[in-house]
Amino acid sequence: MIVLVSAILLLEVSPSGALPAPNASDDTLAIIVNQANPIEDLSLKELKIVFLGERSHWPNGRRITLVMMDPGLSERKAVLRDICHMSETEFSRHFLQGLFTGEVFVSPKTLSTPVGVRKFVFNVPGAIGYVRASDVDETVKVIRINGHRFDEAEYPLRIDVRASK
Amino acid sequence: MPGHNNSEGIEIAGFERFLKHGLVLISRHTSSLLLFIVFCVVVGVGIFMMGDLHTATDQVQHMYAGSVKGLRGIGELQYEAQETRRATLYALTTNNSNLQVEYADQSRAADRLVTDGILRYVSEARTPREVELGQRLQQNWADYLKVRDEVLASILEGSTKEAVDLDLHGGVPSFERVRQDLEEVKRHYDAQASEQMALVDKSSKRSVVRLMGVLVFTFIFASASIWAIQRSRMLNAVRLAKLQMDFVASVSHELRTPLAVICASAQNIADGVVDEKEQMAKYGSVIRHHSRQLTELVNQILLFAATHEGRNRYVMRPLKVPEIVSAVLMNTRVLVEEAGFVVEEHLGEDLQPVTGDFTAVCQCLQNLVVNAVKYGGDHRKVVIRAFQSVREDLNRYEMRISVEDHGIGIDAAELQQIFEPFYRSPVVTAAQIHGTGLGLALAKNIAEAMGGSISVVSRVGVGSRFTIHLPLASSVGAETTTVQRVAQL
Repeated sequence: MIVLVSAILLLEVSPSGALPAPNASDDTLAIIVNQANPIEDLSLKELKIVFLGERSHWPNGRRITLVMMDPGLSERKAVLRDICHMSETEFSRHFLQGLFTGEVFVSPKTLSTPVGVRKFVFNVPGAIGYVRASDVDETVKVIRINGHRFDEAEYPLRIDVRASK
Repeated sequence: MPGHNNSEGIEIAGFERFLKHGLVLISRHTSSLLLFIVFCVVVGVGIFMMGDLHTATDQVQHMYAGSVKGLRGIGELQYEAQETRRATLYALTTNNSNLQVEYADQSRAADRLVTDGILRYVSEARTPREVELGQRLQQNWADYLKVRDEVLASILEGSTKEAVDLDLHGGVPSFERVRQDLEEVKRHYDAQASEQMALVDKSSKRSVVRLMGVLVFTFIFASASIWAIQRSRMLNAVRLAKLQMDFVASVSHELRTPLAVICASAQNIADGVVDEKEQMAKYGSVIRHHSRQLTELVNQILLFAATHEGRNRYVMRPLKVPEIVSAVLMNTRVLVEEAGFVVEEHLGEDLQPVTGDFTAVCQCLQNLVVNAVKYGGDHRKVVIRAFQSVREDLNRYEMRISVEDHGIGIDAAELQQIFEPFYRSPVVTAAQIHGTGLGLALAKNIAEAMGGSISVVSRVGVGSRFTIHLPLASSVGAETTTVQRVAQL
């Protein structure tokens, strides 16, 4: 609870002004990009294209770098389930095949911890990744999904807390 | 009474008395004075050297606070700058994204330290040269960080070749500029440190020279002081020995003369040369006179010894001045008459009693009368006065008994010495006037023992006036009140 409150307070003073999260809970999955990235909002469909490596550059010309967490983690499971609509095996196969055929332009980077993901996104202008809402800080920017901020009820990305426990 | 006060007060002015008193003190305490001066000089030297050392310490501290700390700070900046670059290059050596992120983090932590250090240097810059150096370093470091960020991004994206290209074409030159800037700052601090070191060295040498000079001065001064002290002691010892020899010779002479007369008279009687009754009576009178003279002389010597050593026990009581004068005149009557002198008495009216020992005060006054007769010259008149007067320094009345003659007088240069034991003026010695040199010393000791003093006014060829100052028997508080009342009137 203390961690959660700290995270909320941190978000409230966020200089980006993007996402104060009074209602953000531990089961919310935040999609984060570099602060220099002009993207503010993506639809689930666009997000799927990005996370499947089928888009190579952002509108500002920066190369997209996809950041995933280690297999088995609940955040990754939520992304595969709610964004990619794939299992772990299908996701791996998609990238192996896509890279071979040239249909996929981006090979995802895999990191073990939310802090690692956050730091990666902070360091790479074209990076996109995901962390729990409670792991967000001011070094990264959280984007809206389908026009909804992650502290709104209509926000579509949730982590299966029971599975993670 | 007031007329007496004024004339007496004019004789020795206050300042003159103070000056004489000071000179006497200086002559008596030459050794102590010299030692005190040496002490003051040593203390002064100590303070001077402490100040010098303090200045040197300040300079060293200033140097440490400035150049040495600055150099240390620049050393740390150089290390952290290298660490920034090193961590970036480490990220190139692995494909593990977790490790790459960790190296990126290390690089950023190091660059924050460098940025803070540069900001501190710029804010503390004093000279235009330092400001210019600081601003250039700040700009070059910012340029390098831009490249470093791009390199890190490329590494994390997995574009190793692009990262290497970026680093070679942008990172290496910009970091080289930063390195050169830091070296220049370091050289600047080195130069500052050298300048300050030279200042400290110069200051140190100056201190050593000063110390040596002051030590030499102190040594010479101390040696001169010791020499002066030793010389003063030696001269005093020689003088004392001479006085004692003179005293012995004088006493021997004084003893021999009456003894010779007594012996000759006794021999004549024994040989039967004198057989008539009248002659026998005359011889007896001569023997008695000289025997008394001898007794008086021996008593004088014994009394001086007792007074000088403080062995006398005085019985202090109120004494009437006329009784003192009368007793003294009685004791000296024969002497005065034989010398053909006339004594005039001028005793004031309503004289208050004085405090003292009767025998001692009489002895004191008697010595003055005897001296007046002895050195009275051809005028053959002695004047005794007694009156009350205000003692200005104590703001009270005192009794003054003066004995005045119109004889040979005393040279001003000798006035300070005549009260010293065994001292006899060369003038009186040459004039074959006999004496022991103890009379005035004895009178002075007695007057002081009575709580008073003795003073003298004299002029060669005109005469001398010795005055005994004695405290009145009445209380001091009452006297003060009286003095104030008289002053108001």
